[in-house]
Amino acid sequence: MEKSEPKKFVVPIGPQHPALKEPGHFEFEVDGEIVTGATARFGYVHRGIEKGAETRSWIQAMYLLERVCGICSHVHATAFALGAEKLAKVTVPPRAQAIRVLVGELERLHSHMLWLGVAVHEAGFDTLFMYSWRDREIVMDLLEGLTGNRVNYSANVLGGVKIDVDDKQRDDILKGLEVLEQRAQYYLKVVTTDETFLGRTRGIGTMTYEQAELLGAVGPTGRASGVKRDVRVEAPYAAYPDFPVNLITDTRGDLEARFVVRIKELFEAIRIIREILDKMPTGEIQTKMPRRVPEGETISRVEAPRGELLYYIRSAGGDKPDRVKVRTPSLCNWGSVLTTAVGHKLADMPMILSGIDPCFSCNDRAAIIRRPDQPAQAWDWESLRLHGIEYYKR
Amino acid sequence: MNTLFALIALMIFPGGLFVLFAGLVYEWADRKLVAQFQNRIGPRVFQPLADVIKLLAKEEVVPVGVNGFLFMALPIAALAATLTAALYVPVVGLAPAYSFRGDLIVTIYLLSVLTLCIGVAGANTADRFSLIGATRTLTQVFSYEAPFMLAMLGPAIMAGSWQISEINAYAASKPWLIIPQVIGFLVALVGLMGKLELPPFDAPEAETEIVAGAMTEYSGRGYAIFRIAKDVELVIGLTLVAAFYLGGIGNPLEFLLKTVVLLLVTAGLQSLFARLRIDQTVGMWWRVGALLALLNLLVLVGLRMLGWLGVWL
Amino acid sequence: MKIGALLGDVFRSLFKPPATERYPVEKKPAPMRLRGKLVYDSSKCTGCQLCAKDCPCDAIEIITIDRAAKRFIMRYRVDRCTFCAQCVESCRFGCLDLSNEEWELASVQKDPFTLTFGSEADLEAFLAKTTGAQPEAETKP
Repeated sequence: MEKSEPKKFVVPIGPQHPALKEPGHFEFEVDGEIVTGATARFGYVHRGIEKGAETRSWIQAMYLLERVCGICSHVHATAFALGAEKLAKVTVPPRAQAIRVLVGELERLHSHMLWLGVAVHEAGFDTLFMYSWRDREIVMDLLEGLTGNRVNYSANVLGGVKIDVDDKQRDDILKGLEVLEQRAQYYLKVVTTDETFLGRTRGIGTMTYEQAELLGAVGPTGRASGVKRDVRVEAPYAAYPDFPVNLITDTRGDLEARFVVRIKELFEAIRIIREILDKMPTGEIQTKMPRRVPEGETISRVEAPRGELLYYIRSAGGDKPDRVKVRTPSLCNWGSVLTTAVGHKLADMPMILSGIDPCFSCNDRAAIIRRPDQPAQAWDWESLRLHGIEYYKR
Repeated sequence: MNTLFALIALMIFPGGLFVLFAGLVYEWADRKLVAQFQNRIGPRVFQPLADVIKLLAKEEVVPVGVNGFLFMALPIAALAATLTAALYVPVVGLAPAYSFRGDLIVTIYLLSVLTLCIGVAGANTADRFSLIGATRTLTQVFSYEAPFMLAMLGPAIMAGSWQISEINAYAASKPWLIIPQVIGFLVALVGLMGKLELPPFDAPEAETEIVAGAMTEYSGRGYAIFRIAKDVELVIGLTLVAAFYLGGIGNPLEFLLKTVVLLLVTAGLQSLFARLRIDQTVGMWWRVGALLALLNLLVLVGLRMLGWLGVWL
Repeated sequence: MKIGALLGDVFRSLFKPPATERYPVEKKPAPMRLRGKLVYDSSKCTGCQLCAKDCPCDAIEIITIDRAAKRFIMRYRVDRCTFCAQCVESCRFGCLDLSNEEWELASVQKDPFTLTFGSEADLEAFLAKTTGAQPEAETKP
């Protein structure tokens, strides 16, 4: 127990904790079962990917960046490829763009199903967890049949995609979606009607629209609070201009709304996949991409399953990127967790944590914590370098 | 010779070793059934035994800041209490090894000792998860214990006895008591799940929140003994409910059939619900469980006084 | 609003076989496109080294035995490979492919992870030169 401040009872969660599948550290101050304060600390899985991308060629960097996140790997590669192609002024054939979107939406299906399982497991609803992961296997098999890998599909190459969709795969996907749609309907029914489960989600972790705007919530987390923001709708990329997405929002902002929004996004993803398979553009799937990318800088935004993913890419004209900066959606959503946690019961914490669909390895970009004695958050390159040297000396 | 039989009854059959193994088998059956409900394969039959052997072989880490004697003694006390309770219960359909008037009350108290031991064991350590787990365990005791007891008293009142063997004989001679006392049966069964901290009443050991609750600091032998004690309690609880509500237990076959049916129902209930928060558990038991059990009991007492119990008189 | 919305599914699964695949006992056929172990056709190779250059994880090494006679062997590190198929894309002569048959690549030793492909004569010549290491030789029929 805390000796210095006997009044505060701090429950540490993580870095190693059964509720966390990846390392992160949270400290909840509790008064009995009620949480009165929450802090978070990340950086346990910092891998230096951004720096690593600078030492690799454009082609190699794409595969490295694909591994920022194991669940939404395709969107990372897509974001980087779109940015690099924009810099190189390469026009990717429409069929390749459609296949990128197709894989992206299949990935969204698998990511949301995975989240559904994890989130209900945090609520102790293991049967639904097992069922949703069993059904997720369908979309995993589809991705495996389409791309050859179950995770880290590596469907992209710079200038197009590697894989084409033939008739057999088309039929397989349509058949799989049939089952998935039915199951998603069922899950929507369960999470909105089961009394014991609603007791854990309704009115828990509520984030108002104002809070969501203030805290910069992105993705389904923000959309559940009524934030009308989706890169696929605002700034359609790849093949989204041809296959428009309907924005799915909810106004309640609690955990139930996040469940509803994500499950409804499953239906939307299924609809888009069907539309793409129906109106697949014909033509090439690859175009020639130069090995040296002309000098310039660009920003590439895509909608990952967890929210807006932003890439800043700078080229100095060489065969390697000069700078790649990744901003992942999970990082934007932590503020909402720490704010909404206060006032809830300790038992609700795992649910609220998982409610934003956190991806911890996505968080470990670089974090600067402002201390009172440090006036500004801006660090220049030299001071960062010195800090790094100092840090690893210890 | 008398002492020899007493020793055998205590150490081997029906108490002691036999109940230990029966407990492990029932734990396996429970896990297997839950797995089947969740469309999984589930563990193999010797998995619980293998777990226990592994735990017994592990180093027992006594954490800093605990009372070492209590840390070691509490699991043993818990197991001793549940094993003692086994002596008063018609396990395997045989007559209880020991029996006296009022042994029902003693058995119910002995079954509570396990939960108390777990609570105290959690409070004994300085670990935060253990402390919260202990608080929740002890809070939960107060919620289900009274309704469970009331539900157990229903058949006792109908039989007009506080002796388990007599109630068992009475239940066997009449139509199943579940017919007039559906509420009592449900409260008893769900109360048993609460006692064993099975889902959805597993808030005291909710792994996603507080790791293993009160038992977080237990690693080797202590944890194994607590687990065995829980398994034994599962067998005793199922036997009691089957004996009271499902027409008594007269022979091993009846015992097996009835307890497995009960296990099927509890496994189904375990897989149906999301975990209840501790405040939801307490609220549910006192707002619904206790009131229903009390109502059930009052109606029974009234009927008995008026002599309207019909065939069950 | 109801309790036990899963009841139907839970009850039905009592009579359903488990969905779990008993993997080592029963194996599902691998899909056509599954990316397994890399295979190399040395007869088509021109030794351009593009595959080795583009490999994001340094898994490929093309060793030239005789450039004029177009004799090359490839040393392939399975443990490094991420099965991204970039080498297959980069190769302009179609001498690389990812097998969909050999995908159970786990091993308890490190040696089997280093594979050397090429024609038998080239391999012998290469192995004669490198006496220290004895990587497992494999030839493509």
